[in-house]
Amino acid sequence: MTNSSSSKKHGQDQPELSGPTPKSHRTKMGKSEDTDKKNLGKKLKDVEISVPIVYGNIAFWLGKKASEYQSHKWTVYVRGASNEDLGAIVKRAVFQLHSSFNNPTRVVESPPFELSEAGWGEFEIVITLHFHSDVCDKPLNLYHHLKLYPEDENSSMSTKKPVVVELYDEIVFPDPSEAFLSRVQNHPAVNVPRLPPGVTLPPPIPVEDASKRRKGDTKDHPLSQWFTNFSEADELLQLAAARQQVQAHIAKLRRQISLIDGQHHQYFKSSSDQ
Amino acid sequence: MDAKDILGLPKNSFPALEKKSRPHKESHRKPDGISREVYALTGGVPPLMPSLDSSQLKKKPPSHEKITWQWLPFTNSARKDNLQLYHWVRVVNGVPPTGDYSFAKYNKSVDVVKYTDEEYDKYLTDPMWTKEETNQLFDLCQRFDLRFIIIADRFPSSRTVEELKDRYYSVSRAILIARASSTGDVATHPLVKEPYNVSQEIERKRALSMVLSQTRQQERRDEEVLVEAKRIAELRMPAKAVEESQLAPSNAGAEVTGRAVPGETASPSNAQLPSITFPDNASTLASLRILRVYLRTYALDQMVQATSSSAGPRTVKRIEQTLLDLGVNLKPRVPTKAVCAEHLELRKEMLTLLNLQKQVQYKEAEGSPFRDGSYNEAPGTPKDWTFIPDTMNFGGERVSKKDQKRKGHGHPSSSAHKRPRKKASEF
Repeated sequence: MTNSSSSKKHGQDQPELSGPTPKSHRTKMGKSEDTDKKNLGKKLKDVEISVPIVYGNIAFWLGKKASEYQSHKWTVYVRGASNEDLGAIVKRAVFQLHSSFNNPTRVVESPPFELSEAGWGEFEIVITLHFHSDVCDKPLNLYHHLKLYPEDENSSMSTKKPVVVELYDEIVFPDPSEAFLSRVQNHPAVNVPRLPPGVTLPPPIPVEDASKRRKGDTKDHPLSQWFTNFSEADELLQLAAARQQVQAHIAKLRRQISLIDGQHHQYFKSSSDQ
Repeated sequence: MDAKDILGLPKNSFPALEKKSRPHKESHRKPDGISREVYALTGGVPPLMPSLDSSQLKKKPPSHEKITWQWLPFTNSARKDNLQLYHWVRVVNGVPPTGDYSFAKYNKSVDVVKYTDEEYDKYLTDPMWTKEETNQLFDLCQRFDLRFIIIADRFPSSRTVEELKDRYYSVSRAILIARASSTGDVATHPLVKEPYNVSQEIERKRALSMVLSQTRQQERRDEEVLVEAKRIAELRMPAKAVEESQLAPSNAGAEVTGRAVPGETASPSNAQLPSITFPDNASTLASLRILRVYLRTYALDQMVQATSSSAGPRTVKRIEQTLLDLGVNLKPRVPTKAVCAEHLELRKEMLTLLNLQKQVQYKEAEGSPFRDGSYNEAPGTPKDWTFIPDTMNFGGERVSKKDQKRKGHGHPSSSAHKRPRKKASEF
């Protein structure tokens, strides 16, 4: 599997959440619930959790079957950058479509967070991500301009090759709660940095019934062949090279400035001697 | 406009604030009903909201009535002396208008409380005030409609305005409460609800006069202090929100209290404040943390804005152009934490580079009176090299841009560097 993407910090390779909570464990927690509840609200400083995501759309031209009002079939989605399950972080996603659609507010309650429709027009879709209660109580908005027609006007549209627009971004939680931290510490979709030494987290409490959930990752998604693989390596290389050049030039200029200063000093001296 | 006509000068077009048809329209048309000269008084532009429909201006008064004007006597109910004066009256069909003198309704006065002697003895005695003085005060209040400045002026013994006001209001209040059948009735009366506070009034007026009499310099200094305080307060606020209840309550004095004590407001005693020397980064980070969740691209955007806030728009454009020349995306395609950090650092370094270039330019300019000789001789002098236009031509003095490889540094440039140095030592 092509997994050379950006999540570099996750621990063991655990595809699922940390295991099911047996009933006995639950009752034990019930006793010390109060202190746990207090701890759940506690936040760690300088620990930033980031979730790399990719969002965008894939649009297929319907070719012969296209009608005036439905020329394309498209899917807009938000997925984990490495196609991991976002359900541990995102509770639901709301896609706000153009008002000409029936029920333009589409709510997707479980991963994969995607929406398919048919239409003819390009417009801005607002994707609102609502997180689980221990993650963040404020939703986050993503703005995506639906793209149906290829960039190059002259290229012919094909029913086999879709128009794909994907954007990489990362959701950052600057002040995660301990509960969230402990829950996703080893989750593959989440980047959790190394914790400061001596910090222990309370045992994780799952936010949903693990048995009820079906697979939410997009690794075997029907459209996965069109997914882009975002790698930071190229960009880092480019940036490093650019920085090197700039730094070298800065050094040169600094030398030059000290040279000029030296010369001025000399001239001042010599002219005053005259 | 007519003068221009006479002189044969072209009319200048009015600024195109309105629609396109406007300048075309106003020189050819004017609303009917007003003469052209009158219309021109308004600048030739019709008023935004016509106060009078221009069609009304040429209307004739209703002609089915017979109107005459007669010189008739009248009385004014506001007067107490039955004086009869005369004035012109518009008579319609022989019937003079009825009703009181139209200005009588403006004769309003204040209801000054009138107390009896018993009431005075029962409720209103005061060590500072004699009965006579109080009576005089109330008489003056009645005569002058509570204009205390005048009352204070005419008051026989010298009392300050505040003292008079205090006496008047407390007497009125006491009477009001005494006469009320129950306290509940008058509880909403403004006199009862908010009694006159002498000391506060004195203080307030003093502060006001201080403000009024401030010299310009003092005003400027106060402004600066306030701006500083506001800035500190803003810096403190995100840090405060993040720290939650950790801050001592004294630090809540981020609010500006009275201008009378400007010294207090400028006290940055809070050591928890992120260093003021880097307000950009720290405060951006702090404001990001308040959001509790944000996108990496948004964060990068904020940080970039913060760093380029010190640079002008032209500089920012140059940085962006240079980024493109170096093959760097203006907005990273894969904005991970590392990539964003590198991107930000790169931008900062470019800003430094541009500033250094400017510095070199200035220094060269400074030095030119002394270096007339060497400048004209060496073809590849630093002058050419550093007066790089927008792109970064690294080694290239006269090398054409096409040949210029991006990664090619300047070995040629270092030799050019050496040449003027030699020249300089010759002097």
